[in-house]
Amino acid sequence: MSGLKIVTPNRPSKGRVLAAFTLAAVMSGTMMTQATAQSIDFWTQPQGDLLVYQDTMNALASEFKAESGIDVRVEVINWSVAFNTWLTVAQGGAAPDCADMYWLHSFSGIGGGKYGPQPITAYRDQWPTLEEDFFPGALEDVHWNGEFYGIPWRVDIRPMMYRTDFLQEAGLTAPPANWDEIVSMGQALTVRDGNNTTRWGFAPGNNNPAQTLLPYYWQAGGVMLSEDGKTATIDNEAMRTALKFLQDLVHVHKITSPEIFEKSAVPLDDFTSGSVAINGSMGNSWPSQFDRDYPELEDKWAIALNPEGPENRDSYSGAGYWGVLYGTDQIDACINWIKFLSQQENMQRISEATGAASPRRAVMASESWNARPWQTVMGETLEFGHTSQHATSVWSALASPEPGAVLYDLVYSTVIGNEDIDAAVVAAQARMQTELDRSATN
Amino acid sequence: MSATTEATGARSGSWKRLFDLRSGDTLTKVIVILITIGTLIYILLPVFWMLKSSFQANVEIRALPPKWLPENPTLQPYENAGRLIPLWRYVWNSLFVSVTASVIATLLACSAAYVLGRFRFPGATLILALILLTNLIPAITRTFPIYFFIQDLGLLNSYGGLILSYVGFSLPFAVLLLRGYFESSAPPELEEAALVDGCNHFTAFLRVILPVSLPGIAAVAIFTFLNAWNDFLWASLLLNQGEMKTIQVGIGDFAQEGGGPQYVNAFMAACVVATIPALIVFLFVQRWLVGGLTAGSVKT
Amino acid sequence: MVRDKLIFCYLMVAPAMLFTIALGIYPMLYSMWMSFVEYDLLRIQQYGTPFVGFDNYVEVFSDPRFVQTVSNTVLFTILAVSGTLGISLLLSQVLNAKFPGRAIVRMAVCVPWFVPPAVASAIWMWLLNTERSPINYLLRDWGVIDSNIRFLTDSTQYGPFSIPMLAIVAVRVWNGLPFAVIFILAALQSIPASLYEAAEVDGATIMQKFWHVTLPSLKPVLLILLTLLIIGGLGSFEINYIMTGGGPNNLTNIMAVYSYQQAFSFFRFDLASAASGVILILTGFVCVYYIRAQFKGTQQ
Repeated sequence: MSGLKIVTPNRPSKGRVLAAFTLAAVMSGTMMTQATAQSIDFWTQPQGDLLVYQDTMNALASEFKAESGIDVRVEVINWSVAFNTWLTVAQGGAAPDCADMYWLHSFSGIGGGKYGPQPITAYRDQWPTLEEDFFPGALEDVHWNGEFYGIPWRVDIRPMMYRTDFLQEAGLTAPPANWDEIVSMGQALTVRDGNNTTRWGFAPGNNNPAQTLLPYYWQAGGVMLSEDGKTATIDNEAMRTALKFLQDLVHVHKITSPEIFEKSAVPLDDFTSGSVAINGSMGNSWPSQFDRDYPELEDKWAIALNPEGPENRDSYSGAGYWGVLYGTDQIDACINWIKFLSQQENMQRISEATGAASPRRAVMASESWNARPWQTVMGETLEFGHTSQHATSVWSALASPEPGAVLYDLVYSTVIGNEDIDAAVVAAQARMQTELDRSATN
Repeated sequence: MSATTEATGARSGSWKRLFDLRSGDTLTKVIVILITIGTLIYILLPVFWMLKSSFQANVEIRALPPKWLPENPTLQPYENAGRLIPLWRYVWNSLFVSVTASVIATLLACSAAYVLGRFRFPGATLILALILLTNLIPAITRTFPIYFFIQDLGLLNSYGGLILSYVGFSLPFAVLLLRGYFESSAPPELEEAALVDGCNHFTAFLRVILPVSLPGIAAVAIFTFLNAWNDFLWASLLLNQGEMKTIQVGIGDFAQEGGGPQYVNAFMAACVVATIPALIVFLFVQRWLVGGLTAGSVKT
Repeated sequence: MVRDKLIFCYLMVAPAMLFTIALGIYPMLYSMWMSFVEYDLLRIQQYGTPFVGFDNYVEVFSDPRFVQTVSNTVLFTILAVSGTLGISLLLSQVLNAKFPGRAIVRMAVCVPWFVPPAVASAIWMWLLNTERSPINYLLRDWGVIDSNIRFLTDSTQYGPFSIPMLAIVAVRVWNGLPFAVIFILAALQSIPASLYEAAEVDGATIMQKFWHVTLPSLKPVLLILLTLLIIGGLGSFEINYIMTGGGPNNLTNIMAVYSYQQAFSFFRFDLASAASGVILILTGFVCVYYIRAQFKGTQQ
């Protein structure tokens, strides 16, 4: 269920609004929260176990308060309303002082320099060892248009996950290392019962067509946009190769379910229930979730680097970051809070509590991140991380998981609909360029 | 036929009547009963599924062959639901908003419906037409303007904004229903008698008309309450931060990044909790409901 | 008219009118305005909202997906309304008859009313998930089918219909039944028993009584119910959006979902308002008939 929130147009009649606001506040008894000089509002999405996360953040906030006297009010924004919340913020809606954010490029573009994420380039020198301490892919996510926006704190990295018990059954000793092996092993792992496939050998990713396509397209050597974010570059051999590969998985080799992109598809359930043997680009929180919620699956799963495509074995990577919003008058307090959070031991704590990979090298190299084999693999995969962000504010519209979005239509019509790839790619390129031209002044 | 009915007399309300032996009728009855049973299964299946899942472990819910009854029924999901989200606070929020909206809407609708049904004054027809018109505008077409409007009033993310919206949305239907009701069940003589006794119009309305019209009023109250309680669109738009969320929006808290609920059984438990208060209120008010609808719609 | 009577009338009507205008008329007009300007979130900071005449409507109608949603919306509405009316007519007949346990059955029929559409969608999604559905499991077990029915994902088209369409219609009918049943039940109870007795004396069977006594008496109520259901159907949003988001290959996409996607996924509020505008137009036609029927009634 997604929440709905919408956006306000530019309303310059401040005086009228202020009067109405005060009157309404009195009338409806709303408590107006006045941000005092010593307190800041911080919003964050949950990661990992909801309760553990809340406890961790609240603990950190109290420690910070003890240290600095600044009161941080932590509010958790649930994922079901997160996107619309930030959309509203980027349009001038109610915003916190600082927050855990994502999709910097889109929200900055929409905010147009007035709302949404605020660059903190002036404060960058407070982190002198940024490049050494953090993985480069993650740092890509906090820079845009030459400006610096915050500190990445969690990386959504998506290696491949597979069922060791099913592989054993099929007499396979190692997971696929390249695209050809995906096909051959996938065929060995697919189990049919008459007309029904009871187990699919391979699921390329999750139920978001654009996200699923990206790694395969990169692995075939393609990029989505030009560096300046103004030109679409998807009409090429790499796109055709990637799409053909995925299309064949469904229609020729029949090792992938045609239902993977439906709204009701739940890749996690498919994997845990045994309907899918290998997931090529898993959700990054799966391993820690399995440890916690699926003890019956212990020793039956493992993760590995993404299989290598024609050009490379790039992995989907996206980072969430802590940043500051326009409209705050507490930048220094926010910077202090972010500095506190980004200290190594705190990032370590957060990473352990959430199970999310950290963009900080030291954390990934630490003991707690190498106790289990899967953890080591996560760290290794980070070296192949390719940021999923793109330098245009239209990106979220292009990659939206809703039918009608350019990439959704492209992938769905070819991979599921089995339509002609050439025609689809040419049409998608044109559509994508039109969309990019929308925000032409970027 | 009538002889048989008379003979069975007091027992005519029993099963005997159902099995009356006239071949054309029996066939019809059998078909009807079969379809009814099928329909009842169709109606109750999801509710049953929701209910039974709220007492099962996650693994059981996902199991195939499906486990129709919990093997080890447990209240753990309810506890989890209460821990994961401030369940009871959300229920309270929903109750507060729905009841307030219902009360206000009913009062306003009564006032308007009464004069629109009873008196002919300039503009009455126009006003009635306008109210009819707004009744027929689908909610989805009003989302953006109303959001801006509530925001301009500074009532975003407050109980007030949501309550006002619910009142506004329920009024048209309420006025329509009540107008028909007043027209048919509150005879002018009653009012005239009150006027003769020295009441002015307002007191006559209050003391004489309202008490007589309780069924219709109850119907309107319950409709408004249910619409407010069940609403997701407006609640998620206008009141979706922090502790003030209504239960319907609160349930969305269970969705994770991937989209599927992390704790399925707790989610089901929360769904059950989201359903119960409405059920209770309905049970309480339902005896008036059917009566209230009759006069309102047939005579309209 | 006497002066203080007049003041009384206006005072009583004023609050309702205020709400109606603020939350009904104003949003409708604003939304219409939005459909005639450019309102692209990604451009609004730089370009504002210039007037573009009918461009948005042209753009929307040149999108074959949108054209399909228009026909889908109409189809969905027809199917859902027929289903709801048909089943509720049957159920209300059954509930009107006296038999032991009637109150319980009536309660059971009302249950979907308390389950909010958002929750209902989530639960039905679970029940209709291709691989996990208990329904599929049972059907396979009984040998009725040999491969899982892909309730929400099968993109084969049978003429203008498809399985996901039928599945969602089933959920929508499920959601609308209680309201319809209660509505009709209320009206049934005001049909004088003498009419039935007269028919019985003439030797009528159950079916004949239904056709010649019940249906004609119910006609006014059925018309109102029909109108309400159609309006609701045209603007329906939640169930389609949550369950399939427009469905495999646009098969379950309806105008409201399209509008929502345009606004919140692609940031084109102008196109979204144009789509809403089309909904309004269709609803407008139904409005006209409804208002005519209403005023015919009052003039009798």
